[in-house]
Amino acid sequence: MSDANIIELRAATKAFSRIPAFKNVDFDLHRGEIHALLGENGAGKSTLTKVMAGVFKLTEGKLLFDGKEVSFATPAEALRAGIAMVFQETNLVPAMTVAQNLYLGEEKMFNRLRGLHIQARQFLAGMGFQVDPTAQVSTLGAAHKQMVEIARAVHHKARVIIFDEPTATLTPEEKRHFFNLLQRLVKEGIAIIFITHALEEALAVANRITVMRDGEIVASGDAKGFTRASIVQAMVGRTLTETLHGDVKRSARPYGDKVLSVENLSCAGLVRNSSFSVFSGQVTGMFGLVGAGRTEMAKVVAGLLKRNIFHGGEIRLLGKSVRYRVPRPAVRDGIVYVTEDRKVDGFFETMTAGENLQIGELTDKSNPVAMVSMARAKELAKEWGERLRLKQISDRAKMIELSGGNQQKVVIAKSLIQQPKLVIFDEPTRGVDVGAIVEIHQLISELADQGMAVVVISSYLPEILAVSDRILVVKRGRVVEEMMLSDASEERVMFAAVH
Amino acid sequence: MAGRGKPGGRIGSVQISQELVVIAISVILFAVFSATLNNFLSQGNVIAILKNVSILGTLAVGMGFIVVGRGIDLTMVAVMVVGVAFSIWVSSWGVDFTLAVICGALLAAAIGLFTGIMVAVAEIPPIFATLAIASSVYGSGRIVFASDVLYAPPNIAWLKFVGNGSVFGIPMSVVMFACVAALMAFFLRKTRFGRLVYATGDNPNAARTTGLPTRPIIVTQYVISALIAFTAGIIMTGLVTGIDTRLYNSSLIYDVLLVVVLGGIGLSGGQGGVRNVIAGTILVGILTNGMTILNFSYTSQNLIKSVILLSALAIDAIINPRDEQTSQSGDI
Repeated sequence: MSDANIIELRAATKAFSRIPAFKNVDFDLHRGEIHALLGENGAGKSTLTKVMAGVFKLTEGKLLFDGKEVSFATPAEALRAGIAMVFQETNLVPAMTVAQNLYLGEEKMFNRLRGLHIQARQFLAGMGFQVDPTAQVSTLGAAHKQMVEIARAVHHKARVIIFDEPTATLTPEEKRHFFNLLQRLVKEGIAIIFITHALEEALAVANRITVMRDGEIVASGDAKGFTRASIVQAMVGRTLTETLHGDVKRSARPYGDKVLSVENLSCAGLVRNSSFSVFSGQVTGMFGLVGAGRTEMAKVVAGLLKRNIFHGGEIRLLGKSVRYRVPRPAVRDGIVYVTEDRKVDGFFETMTAGENLQIGELTDKSNPVAMVSMARAKELAKEWGERLRLKQISDRAKMIELSGGNQQKVVIAKSLIQQPKLVIFDEPTRGVDVGAIVEIHQLISELADQGMAVVVISSYLPEILAVSDRILVVKRGRVVEEMMLSDASEERVMFAAVH
Repeated sequence: MAGRGKPGGRIGSVQISQELVVIAISVILFAVFSATLNNFLSQGNVIAILKNVSILGTLAVGMGFIVVGRGIDLTMVAVMVVGVAFSIWVSSWGVDFTLAVICGALLAAAIGLFTGIMVAVAEIPPIFATLAIASSVYGSGRIVFASDVLYAPPNIAWLKFVGNGSVFGIPMSVVMFACVAALMAFFLRKTRFGRLVYATGDNPNAARTTGLPTRPIIVTQYVISALIAFTAGIIMTGLVTGIDTRLYNSSLIYDVLLVVVLGGIGLSGGQGGVRNVIAGTILVGILTNGMTILNFSYTSQNLIKSVILLSALAIDAIINPRDEQTSQSGDI
């Protein structure tokens, strides 16, 4: 342990039910530096920092803070020790004033609000923040909320502040202000880790840069030693995943009929004037970073978004103009959406796999008092179990007792039973074991070979490249680039997505 | 992955479910009361127990049906008293009583429809929607009907049969409860609609995404539960020849919930069935009857029942934990 380091991770591993988010990682944070943490979605950046902030505990390895081995049980404990984390979604109480939030948890028996406000005003002014301490937090913009969070961290005498994508919601003006602020914090001896997707920011602001990929640190060093190209290279170049997804050169399938065409679609602030098409007999990959609006585009098409936040545009299914307000008519017309979060809206957890499949079959029958036989559920489980190599434990096992891969296969099968023309897979292999990933990719290819129109949304580049014939890149609610498989490379797709 | 586990553990090859525990407790209570209370085991008393629980049980079948779909219906007692009172009120103009009963049933169905729309379309959490609708329904009824207690016209043959008749020695009220329960069991287990109710209760978001008509399903559920409440009201009118609208102010709706929760229908939806309702009904029936023979006051009976309800809810929360998503949705 050198004195220069305030935080050290040694051979650290964090696993969630045996699947490691990161493994055997060594990480140093120097005193008074700005350290940028880069990597694709799912590379393990957030988990790594959350371990330092006391949200998770390490499965293996050591966490050293200020030279002593520590293990924080809660974020509050980490904060007391001097490590604060500013999350993507700020953790402020919206109904309280800035001052109340600042001194949250330190209320005296008789709380004098005016005194609190005066104290807060002096404190904020001392930091050069122009925030009104009497303002209610819900009325503040993203940048001001962040200032309050930072002020709170400083107030708690944090010596390390971790930011999870702090600039994602800021305007350019606010960003500049934010970076100035970071410099000031550093001058006071506070060390900073910030997770970001924007490479330029990392290069411009950070003293050191660490790049993560697949739960490992692939590059780490002085920011001066990095260039854009070398960072992108480090982020995407992979060995393990190539063997997983097979780097066999394949040729793209030809265009079939135009099944779906979306023109100038806008929806709240999430989808902005976006246009794209999907063809039958082909897999259309949709790549974008988290929050780019891919899922929202798919959800508008499939009628999943609730309430009226549709701001115009046209959706055509096989040439016919459609606009679905609930998923039911979309399913009837042949558009199914396979969810990115199967626990939330994928499967019915207290039912068996067969019963889940049967629900899919029951959707298109209109007679409500029609008899339903339990034997049919078993039959479906057997039929699809063989087709999808479902490793069923027993006929009576509830969904919740199955593995992630099996759950995902059931969710997919439930949608395929509905005989769709267009299937939208949103992150089809999230939380799925390695064997099942390969099988799901094969299934996706088979569906396209059979002439179905398939859309695969993923923030995992190798997956997109492994399954797609045509790639759409989404950024800030819009399809910004379209390329055929033959033109696509990891670098090119990533470049389009972050620029 | 966190989530609802199997309810209870296993002893040998027997799955310990809440239903089994409830039945075991019922048997024990029955044995204890039989041994210690003089008149408990008499044929008259057993039939009295069954008669007394037939109304409660019928209401609980409707409530259980709603709870399986992850809702709650606090309007049931209000619909019951106001629906029947409306029928009697209409018949007092000289309308044929049977026709008046049909009018009452239509009113009950209309209230159910309104409740269903409030829950499914306006997306008001069912506990608040039904609480508010219950008191508006009762309040409107009180304004329209002149008195608290309305008596059915005498000499209605079928109503007398409902009250005093019997089939193979079983009181008609119990037969009606059994019919409602059997129909519901069939409906839930064997029909397409029943499967969809379970699916919607298990995971409403997944049901919607899969393309189920979730809103019509929920609305239909509330219409059916209102009609069941009305049926319970008819049974009551047969038994006591009239309806006391003040029943709305009693603890009856909580007894109904007690039966449902005690029987083991998880408030998190998608679990349990009519069997659970029957188990809960029998336990509450035996308990109430025993406490009455023991001459417990109404207040202390309520105290005991509420303690049991609270424990049942706590146990339900522990063995059927709601995950983060469901706990945020704001329903009960």
